[in-house]
Amino acid sequence: MQNMSSRENNHNPSPSSAAMTIREKEEYISNFNFPFCDESTKYEKVAKIGQGTFGEVFKARDKSNPKKFVAMKKVLMDNEKEGFPITALREIRILQLLKHENVVNLIEICRTKASQANRYRSTFYLVFDFCEHDLAGLLSNVNVKFSLGEIKKVMQQLLNGLYYIHSNQILHRDMKAANVLITKNGVLKLADFGLARAFSSSKNGQPNRFTNRVVTLWYRPPELLLGERNYGPPVDLWGAGCIMAEMWTRSPIMQGNSEHQQLTLISQLCGSITPLCWPGVESLELYKKMDLPPSQKRKVRERLKPYLKDPYAIDLLDKLLVLDPSKRADSDTALNHDFFWTDPMPCELANMLANHTQSMFEFLAPPRRASQMRHHSLPRPSTSALQDSGYQDRVF
Amino acid sequence: MPGWYYDKKEIRNSPSAQDALDFDTEMRYRKEGARFIIDTGSKMDLGYNTTATGVVYFHRFYMFHSFRQFPRYVTACCCLFLAGKVEETPKKCKDIIKTARGLLSDEKFATFGMDPKEEVMTLERILLQTIKFDLQVEHPYSYLIKYAKCLKGDKAKLQKMVQMAWTFVNDSLCTTLALQWEPEIIAVALMYLAGKLSKFEVLDWSGRNPRHLRWWDVFVEDVTMDLLEDICHQVLDLYSSQPTAVPDSPPPKTQSAPTPTKKSNNDQDKIETSDSSNNKAIQMTDMAPYQYQTFTTAPPPTYPSVYPAPSIPVTPHLSAPPPHISAPPPSVFPQFVNHPPPTFPPVTGAAPPFYPPAAPPPQNQRPFYQPQP
Ligand SMILES: Nc1ncnc2c1ncn2[C@@H]1O[C@H](COP(=O)(O)OP(=O)(O)OP(=O)(O)O)[C@@H](O)[C@H]1O
Ligand SMILES: [Mg+2]
Repeated sequence: MQNMSSRENNHNPSPSSAAMTIREKEEYISNFNFPFCDESTKYEKVAKIGQGTFGEVFKARDKSNPKKFVAMKKVLMDNEKEGFPITALREIRILQLLKHENVVNLIEICRTKASQANRYRSTFYLVFDFCEHDLAGLLSNVNVKFSLGEIKKVMQQLLNGLYYIHSNQILHRDMKAANVLITKNGVLKLADFGLARAFSSSKNGQPNRFTNRVVTLWYRPPELLLGERNYGPPVDLWGAGCIMAEMWTRSPIMQGNSEHQQLTLISQLCGSITPLCWPGVESLELYKKMDLPPSQKRKVRERLKPYLKDPYAIDLLDKLLVLDPSKRADSDTALNHDFFWTDPMPCELANMLANHTQSMFEFLAPPRRASQMRHHSLPRPSTSALQDSGYQDRVF
Repeated sequence: MPGWYYDKKEIRNSPSAQDALDFDTEMRYRKEGARFIIDTGSKMDLGYNTTATGVVYFHRFYMFHSFRQFPRYVTACCCLFLAGKVEETPKKCKDIIKTARGLLSDEKFATFGMDPKEEVMTLERILLQTIKFDLQVEHPYSYLIKYAKCLKGDKAKLQKMVQMAWTFVNDSLCTTLALQWEPEIIAVALMYLAGKLSKFEVLDWSGRNPRHLRWWDVFVEDVTMDLLEDICHQVLDLYSSQPTAVPDSPPPKTQSAPTPTKKSNNDQDKIETSDSSNNKAIQMTDMAPYQYQTFTTAPPPTYPSVYPAPSIPVTPHLSAPPPHISAPPPSVFPQFVNHPPPTFPPVTGAAPPFYPPAAPPPQNQRPFYQPQP
C-alpha cells in the first residue's frame, strides 16, 4: 500500500505487486494519471444552466484559456446497478460519431479525481463547446424578435443537422426547443443526444422494436403516441414541425398533459386519425384503445394563419405536421422547399443576437413554459430571484 | 493524440513488461483473456461484434496497466460487460460473472475477490478512463464481407475461403494484431492467407483498374507483401505455440475440420507450421498439414461453435451489415452548401413585412393549443 501511493510513474508499478484488493485498486485509481481523461478541475464552474433527467449542466471556463467557455453535463451515476449508464454510453458514442456544424461538439469527457471523499467514485462530465442560448430561452423572451429570414436560417440549420444525423443512421428522439442551441454567432446546434440511438432500416427484415417512451410529450409524434415501435427519422421531423410553428407562436403549439390529451390536440389540429389518411394506423397497438375525436377537419393552415402570413412557411408546416409518418416530409424534401429559396432568403442571426448580451436558456427563463418534461416534472429553480435580475447569466 | 495503434517495440515494452512479466507470459495472458471473452460471450449468445469489441478493449487496457496488478479474467469480464452495453446487447453484470464462474477453475475465480460484482464495477471506471471513452471499435469482419463481394472466381471456393478467413479473424483476436493494424488491413491479410490455403484464385475483381496489381489495392493502399506475411504469421503462430508447456491453457481440442487441402494424417495434435519465423513466405507445402480450425473454432464440446462465418456474401440479407453504426465517415458527408436554386421564380412583393408580428405576443392571447370548440 505504501509503495502504491508513492508511485510516481504510471508505467512503473511496484515490482512486488500482485493482484489488488478493492482497497488497493481504489488507491491505484486515485494515483493513476489517466492520460486520456483529464480532471474536471481544468475547468472552473461559472453558472448552472440546465437540469435534466440525465444530470446537471454547468457553464464553465477553461482555466488554461480564460476566453474559452464550455458546458459540462454531469453523468448521473447514482442508483446505477449496472455500472456506467448505457444511456450515457450511447450519448457519448453517438456524439463521437457525429461531427457537424449543426451538431453540438463534444470536446472530451472529464472526471473528478477519485478520493476517499467521493468513495473513490469519480464523477464524469461530458464537456461541450459552449453555446450562448437555447431556442426555448430565446423564444420565451419577448425582446428577442426573429425576422422571417432569420426564422428561415434557424429552420434551415435545424433541418441540415437532422439530415446529417439521419444519414448517419441516428435518431435524435428528443426534438424540442430546449435541445436546440444557438451560439452568439447564430450557428444552430442540435444538442441532447441522451435519448438518441442508432437505427437500421430493419435487421434482417425484422422490424425494429424500439421503446416508444421517448420524446417530450408536447413534441411527440402521433405514431409514438399510438404505440409504434418500428419508427424512424419521421419522428424527428414531427418535432421539427412543432419547433418551426413555435418560432411564430413563441410557445409549444400542443401542450397536452396526458398522452390521450396530446393525441386529441393533434387530431384537432391535423384532423382525425383514420386509416383513410393514414393507411395501416389501424394496426397500431393503441389505435383502437384510444378514444379519439372523430370527424375532425385538418386545420393546420387555418389555425396557423393568425400567426404567420408567409404562404411558403405555412405550406412547409403543412408538410411537416402530417399524421402518416410515411407521408411526412423528410429533411431533404424540406430543405428543398421553396420556403428556403424565396425572398426573403435565410439571413444570418448574428446581428440580431448582438442586441442581446445575456444568455437565454430554458432553465433560466421564467416558468411560463411550464415544465412538462418527459414523464415527470422536474425540479425548477425558484424563479422570484431570477425575475428580478432578468436573466441570470450576464457574461454569456 | 495517440491512435490505438502501436509498433512491436511498444507492445514489447508494455506496462506488464515493465512490471517484470516476461513477454511470452504476457502473450499467453492476452490469448487466454481474449479466448475467455469469446467463450463467455458465445455462451451468453452475444454476437461476434460484441465479443470482438470486448477483446479490443482488453488489449488496449493492458497497454496502460500490468497483468500483475489486474488479473486477466476480471478485466475480461469487465470488457465484455462494457462491450455488451456499447453494442446494444447488454448483459447483467451478475449474469456475466455467473457464466464466468462456470468457465473458470476455483483458483482462477478467486481473483474476483469477495465481491465479484463490485470488483467489476470498480474496474469499469478504470477501463473507461483508460480507453478514453473511445467506445466505437471496428472489426475486420465487415470488411471481410465487403471485400469478398467484389472478388470473382469459383463460387464454392470463394465461400470456403471466406469461411476460413472468418475463422482466422476470430483467432486473430487472441493476438495483438488489433493493437497494430487497422481492421481493413487485417481483413486483407487474412483473406490472402485463406486464399492461399484454400487455393482460391482471384480471377478478377470489381473496381479493377490498370494501376491495381492485386485485388486489395482497390481497398487499401501501400500494403506490402512483407506486411501481409507478417500479419499471417502472427496468426499462424497461435497454432504453433506449445500448449502442453502451459498448464493454464487447455490443450486445443481437435476435431475433423474441413481442411482446405488434404486431410492431415493422424498426428493432428501437432498443429504447427513447419516454420513460424516471421520472415518466411507462406508456402502451400508448409501449410498442407495445418489444421486451421483447431483454435477458437474448436470449442469444448459443451457449447456450440463460435461465430461461424455467414454464408456466401451474395445473399441479400448480408447486404445489411451487423447491427451497429455503419455510417459513412461523417467528414465525407455532403453538406447543403450547393443547394439548388428555387424551382420557380420567387413571388415578388407578395410577402408582407414580418415584424411587427401579426399576432400579439402569446402571453396576452389564447394559447394556440386550445382550439375553438
Ligand atoms: N453546449 C451547451 N452550451 C450551452 N448550453 C447547453 C449546452 N448543452 C446543454 N446546455 C443547456 O443545458 C440544458 C440541458 O442539457 P441537455 O438537454 O443536454 O441535458 P438534459 O436535458 O439534462 O438531458 P436529458 O434531456 O437527456 O434529460 C439544455 O437545454 C441547454 O439549455
Ligand atoms: Mg434536454
